[in-house]
Amino acid sequence: MDSATLQLTHWLSPAFPTGAFAYSHGLEQVIAQGAVSDAASLEHWLSDVLHHGAGWQDGVLLALALEPGADLDTLDAMAQALQPSAERLQESTEQGAAFARTVARITARPLPPRALPIAVAEAARPLNPDPAQVIALYLQGFATNLVTIAIRHVPLGQGEGHAVLARLLPPITALAARAARAGMEDLGTACLGADMAAMDHETKEVRLFRT
Amino acid sequence: MNAQAGIEQLQRSKGAAHAGFALSDRRICLRELHQSGSAKAIVLPGPAPEVVFLNTSGGLTGCDRLDYALTLGPGCHLTATTQTAERIYRSPGGLAQIGVRAQVGAGAHLDWLPQETILFDHAAARRRTEIDLAPDATCLMAETVVLGRAAMGERVARTAFTDWRILRRGAVPLHMEVLRLCDAALRMGAAGLDGVRAVASVILAAPGAADALGPVRASLDVDGVRGAASAFAGRLVIRLMAADAWPLRLQMVRLLSVLRPGPLPRVWQC
Repeated sequence: MDSATLQLTHWLSPAFPTGAFAYSHGLEQVIAQGAVSDAASLEHWLSDVLHHGAGWQDGVLLALALEPGADLDTLDAMAQALQPSAERLQESTEQGAAFARTVARITARPLPPRALPIAVAEAARPLNPDPAQVIALYLQGFATNLVTIAIRHVPLGQGEGHAVLARLLPPITALAARAARAGMEDLGTACLGADMAAMDHETKEVRLFRT
Repeated sequence: MNAQAGIEQLQRSKGAAHAGFALSDRRICLRELHQSGSAKAIVLPGPAPEVVFLNTSGGLTGCDRLDYALTLGPGCHLTATTQTAERIYRSPGGLAQIGVRAQVGAGAHLDWLPQETILFDHAAARRRTEIDLAPDATCLMAETVVLGRAAMGERVARTAFTDWRILRRGAVPLHMEVLRLCDAALRMGAAGLDGVRAVASVILAAPGAADALGPVRASLDVDGVRGAASAFAGRLVIRLMAADAWPLRLQMVRLLSVLRPGPLPRVWQC
């Protein structure tokens, strides 16, 4: 493994301080509503969000932001405009800001706060990475965080939860490869239920997570 | 050119309508009207004028093209809608393309309240709605998409429908949503459509949009309709979903009565 790949793995690992653990992407709400109640329903929900929701959308945005000559200010504005609710906007921008801050500190490069996929792309660009690899690591990080939350809050056994994650890895690899080849015209989501869960989460009286 | 392509070109319908308005003596006046092909724009005069767009081809199918455009000069407050639900029929091949463009000038306000878009099985279409707001312009937009007609026992299992909704303030994206329905997306569970037949999105883009959040949430109470709302970054976003189009329409009517003063567009009332 070359050092650039190892560097990306470091940045996109759950240990990297983006504060991801505080954001459940609406999962806290769907667990409370009962729509996610076991390993099978978690896998279904996560697979849908990856393929038809924020997973695909962030993957395409990352690919666009890794293209030579990409206009990162415009893509960042788009990434923010595409967020469907107050908490989801916060999830993307606050993690993006924390990510940029830490990479800036490590690499001594000035990195402005941006929505997370754009912040990751901006940090990764000098490494000339394979876009499919960055997107796969990004989506794996996203899925790992949500599986970890589900293990504690559904709850699920560690083995059961990580088996869900393991089953999602081949589809994540395929999804990342598709997203890496995608253009602006391929943007789009259909996770209306997940978006509404994120909106409902705002009105939940007791919230452990910020989304 | 093969025979199939020849037939498609012959059958292909095309339409474009553009209406432009300006304020004169504090009255909104029609300044420009261009219509071609299957598209018409009808202006219903009155103290609160309305524009009703109409597609005389009676629906869209593969490779059809329909464009509606509006220009609102400074200070114009206007409601625009469509005369009836837009039907997107089974495509014999190719995508129907729909373009909606609006330029909303300084201090102007647009209510873009088209009636439902009904997708039939095997519908293939791409719609792009782009609303450009001047720095202090405001806008309310509502889009409803219905998958087949429940009363006719229709089920939509196959479609390729992409619906871009873009609101910009200045040249900067303020709100974007891209609904992308494909066969796999139609089969989604709780994260997606979960078997519902009607979905809607309502967006209010205005500096004080967040003030309406409380009353909007309180109005999301029609039986059989799931609704949720969020206010952030100069926009209020409301999503609705229902097993069928009718309760969703009742909820939409109730919601619009909270979001805008005065009666509904006249064509909505029949």
